Amino acid sequence: MLEIKNLKASINNRDIIKGLDITIKPGELHAIMGPNGSGKSTLANVLSGKNGYEISGAIQFKGKNLIEIPVDERAQKGIFLAFQYPTEIPGVNTNNFLKTSLNKVRKARGEKELDTLTFLKIVKEKTAELGIDEKILSRQLNVGFSGGEKKKNEILQMKILDPSFTILDETDSGLDIDALKTIANGVNSSRDKMKSFLVITHYQRLLDYIKPDFVHVLSDGKIVKSGGMELAEELEKTGYKKIK
Amino acid sequence: MITNFKVNSDEIDKIKKISKQEKEFRIKNLNLFNKNGFPNNKIEDWKFSDLRNIVSKNFKKLDVQITNSKNINTTLIKDFDHNSLILINGNLSSSNFDFEEKNKIKIKNFHNDNFSDINKYNPLIHLNHALSDTGYYLEIADNYKFKKTLIIYNIFTKELNENILNSRNKIQIGNNSELHTIDFVVNESKNKFMNNVYENVILKENAIYKNICIQNEKSDGFFHKFSKNTLSSKSKYSSFIFPSGLKFNKLDLEFNLEGERSECNLQAASSLNKNDHQEIKTRINHLVPNCKSYQRVKNVLNSDSKGVYQGKIFVKDIAQKTDAYQLSKALLLNDNSEFNSKPELEIYADDVKCSHGSTSGSIDETSIYYLMSRGLNREESVRLLVSGFLNEIIEMIKSNSIRKFVQKKIEEQIYGN
Repeated sequence: MLEIKNLKASINNRDIIKGLDITIKPGELHAIMGPNGSGKSTLANVLSGKNGYEISGAIQFKGKNLIEIPVDERAQKGIFLAFQYPTEIPGVNTNNFLKTSLNKVRKARGEKELDTLTFLKIVKEKTAELGIDEKILSRQLNVGFSGGEKKKNEILQMKILDPSFTILDETDSGLDIDALKTIANGVNSSRDKMKSFLVITHYQRLLDYIKPDFVHVLSDGKIVKSGGMELAEELEKTGYKKIK
Repeated sequence: MITNFKVNSDEIDKIKKISKQEKEFRIKNLNLFNKNGFPNNKIEDWKFSDLRNIVSKNFKKLDVQITNSKNINTTLIKDFDHNSLILINGNLSSSNFDFEEKNKIKIKNFHNDNFSDINKYNPLIHLNHALSDTGYYLEIADNYKFKKTLIIYNIFTKELNENILNSRNKIQIGNNSELHTIDFVVNESKNKFMNNVYENVILKENAIYKNICIQNEKSDGFFHKFSKNTLSSKSKYSSFIFPSGLKFNKLDLEFNLEGERSECNLQAASSLNKNDHQEIKTRINHLVPNCKSYQRVKNVLNSDSKGVYQGKIFVKDIAQKTDAYQLSKALLLNDNSEFNSKPELEIYADDVKCSHGSTSGSIDETSIYYLMSRGLNREESVRLLVSGFLNEIIEMIKSNSIRKFVQKKIEEQIYGN
């Protein structure tokens, strides 16, 4: 699914990612943990295609080079980033935006665009499945949403767009236990043999609900240790300082 | 190119059936206009809109007389039921109040009988008062609420070519009465012309007036409107202005809150393109205690366009407990676009709540990134953000059918049909 080799990324002449390798196969869920400033969010941004980074190395997605491909086309190819801080966009109705977004992705996949009625049926189904109040979708995109609502809205978008590769950038930060479970349910119910996930988190907590296949520790722009769930448990006890 | 536009007093002789007194009034105004001609940017009120320069750049001549066309086929709006008033080149042509009790409504050609009021500042008003002989007078009796909206079709015919039209309109709404209007500009002329309107709206006690201004299409009209609005106690005036679609448009709006607990609400949203030039100038006079005024002006500016907002709140010493608010926001999509904002507060009372704010900036890249990460391309993302920016105003329109109509018209103006 995703193969990253010797990835380096810098912004304003500051090196953030300093030679990162990771391979994620279809159906796998990888977790990346690491202290503040280790490059976790930069990795998420770079994978989504955000502008402004100097990049070298290789990123292959489904066998194709991703580096030159712009943000919107990556989304259309099935890459989804759940934002750490979803942007508030005044005046834009959430439902209208979601419909436009879904139809762009469907069109790229060679599927028929959906009319409003069919779209709303899908929304109803997915919100019910996640236990999200449908009402937030008639509001302006993320405007005045609570922290939890914003994160749930990200997961709802993921469910609706049905991407093959999802990056969760600290989606669990600042959530209460119920919201955390909603997020975890959203991810777990999406997992199958074909879909892959990269979950960026500070805490083991989310990983108790979403069982990762692999856990990596990112420190100073490099993966310094990889393992299974036991690595996350170890980190929770010892902290990042002991891992070198 | 016009360098020094003056109007000959012969033009006043051509206006039929006027009293000596009226003639004197017109001559007085004409002389005031002719003294300096169109205002330039040395005059404070025109410092961001140098009309003399704009006229000289765009017109070879300006004819005061027009050949009036006959057999105009007006396509009425079918999106919702409404009453109608049809003005052709400013001239009251027909009206239809089938949804209303007709004895509550008086409609006729405007006839001026006030010759004492000579405006001190605005040369365009002088020109209007010297030459205008078209326009309407609409009066709503006491205790009558309109059942349907009144659309005022302002139709400009294809004959117009380097003309200047001057007209005066007056609306008076009686005690406890309510009127909703849409000023709808339909421009059939493919040429440049000027339209100079003087408007007077009087709200009696407890009256409610809601108004929307919008153009049917983009055109080469150069418009100026001075609007003087008087609010009696507990009356409410709300106006949604969507002024884009013209080459030049200056709206000079004066609101006099003369009765306690009167309220004025002004919302404007526009998107300017190419060489469009648009100014909204307001003066809200809080003259008595306990009144409210609210102004929100949003502008999207594209290539080489210029937007101006000059908003003044005046609070008289006795106008305690005034609640006045003013906000201007501009979104600049291009390095060559320009937005000028001049908020002014002049307050002589000490127990008031007055606030103003003005922001202008380019489009937010974080928002673009977020939208693009969901599969929209850059152009679609910008479009969504621009619509969103303007929608904050449009969404305040309560009627679903009217709101959708406005939304459609604005999208047509921005992106074409």
